Amino acid sequence: MFLLGASTAIVDWGAMWKICLVALAAGAGVVIFFGFLLLGLKFAQGPVTAGATPNGAGDIGSSGPHEPPSAGARLGGFALALVCGLICIGVVAIGVYAMTQKPSSKPAKPKSALVIPAGARVAQVPPSQ
Amino acid sequence: MGSTFVLVIVIVMAVAFDFTNGFHDTANAMATSIATGALKPIVAVLISACLNFLGAFISIAVATTIAKGILPNSATSGVDGLSVVEAALIGAFVWNLITWYFTIPSSSSHALIGGLIGAGIASIGSSAVSIHGIVQKVVAPGILAIFVCGAVAFLATRAAYMLIRRLGQEEARRGYRYGQIGSASLVSLAHGTNDAQKTMGVISLALISTGHLSALHFTVPLWVKLVCATSMALGTATGGWRIINTMGNRITTVESPQGFAAESSSAATILASSYYGYPLSTTQTVSGGVMGAGLGKRGGVVHWPVVGQMALAWVITLPSAAIVGAAAWNIADIFGKNSEAGAIVIAVLAALIALGLWTLSKRNPITAQDLDRTNLTPELEAERAEGLAPAAA
Repeated sequence: MFLLGASTAIVDWGAMWKICLVALAAGAGVVIFFGFLLLGLKFAQGPVTAGATPNGAGDIGSSGPHEPPSAGARLGGFALALVCGLICIGVVAIGVYAMTQKPSSKPAKPKSALVIPAGARVAQVPPSQ
Repeated sequence: MGSTFVLVIVIVMAVAFDFTNGFHDTANAMATSIATGALKPIVAVLISACLNFLGAFISIAVATTIAKGILPNSATSGVDGLSVVEAALIGAFVWNLITWYFTIPSSSSHALIGGLIGAGIASIGSSAVSIHGIVQKVVAPGILAIFVCGAVAFLATRAAYMLIRRLGQEEARRGYRYGQIGSASLVSLAHGTNDAQKTMGVISLALISTGHLSALHFTVPLWVKLVCATSMALGTATGGWRIINTMGNRITTVESPQGFAAESSSAATILASSYYGYPLSTTQTVSGGVMGAGLGKRGGVVHWPVVGQMALAWVITLPSAAIVGAAAWNIADIFGKNSEAGAIVIAVLAALIALGLWTLSKRNPITAQDLDRTNLTPELEAERAEGLAPAAA
């Protein structure tokens, strides 16, 4: 087989910056919104953690003294959790959609082929095929 | 008859490679979920297996790319390529097993490309290889994947730890564990849409080569989809515990927010790269995500010697699989061009190597029980983070 190099740039920077941007928005975005979802649920359901501090070198914070949430805080918490949950679900749905819309390559022309089996007699093949 | 028999052997080898691809790459999706105790190991691999199976049916873009996009239609006539494809598959299969034995997550796709290169060089000479092509299609995406996903995971982890300062320890742990199940599932699904189809593409290519499938009206036959999806799902379900241990426990100590950040970043990077038509290596992407998540936590530690071992394995995967592929082609060639005897001999040799590595692995086994952290208490997790309770093996 031949492994032929296409006469293109080594890195497709046009695609790369889009990938970086989308990965950052979706990857970090989901984590942030999921964090807000948890916070919203916390506000809505349980006693609000007051004065929680980061534990040592960035460990998960420990609970401090508790106080009962007001009705407004409860509602706000639910709303925050709901909105963030929907955003997270939306991002996942977009991800699944992206899987189904994956672009497939067109049949390669001989000159741009990556792999050609042995005995392929490439030189005898018109490029239009 | 001869070509049909060799075709059957090629399909069997492709299915065997798909199986190793399954258990080799389970770690990509599920390692951090298992490491944080979000899922029991057995449950994790079963979920991953189901989603890999499902993913294989979502799209045939990758299979089409391999069967038609990579190879010009005219080049697939005749059976000359069958023995080369078999040798390439053996190169990838054997290298996957070697890296599995040494507990190193390496790219199955790179192994397959390496096998193709080696078998290609053996069959027609060094003119078969273009350094530019290798750098463009293999080296650059591999390196970029690590840095892109690593950077995203780093920022995501920082953001997660800033937010959860307002949460209690148990709430954060429990909440992010649920999140991990979702993000790991997405990575599994994405893996199914990519990797199962590589083998579908190879089998379809072999079928086109022998005239059993039309290149002009190409479609992946249902039985090929079923065989590949099932093979990968079974491979995934067997659980590549050795590699899961490396990815989940040995690169860094992962807490559930880190695991969620790593998996979300990996899923986003893999899907974005697929969508924009510049596929990045899944293994390198996920490894970069785990490293980024490890560094993203203040005071987080990445075990660089382990990363160094992995990087070395990534560098040598292509040439090593190429050497095995070339050796397989040369051995088969002793028995004559495209001979049935040669095809059988190299398949049997591959099976013997697999058996030998499996037997050797029993001396230092890593089981699902070793990795089960679902009952990990906050105290035990804190001890583990401080290195007082090191991971299994």
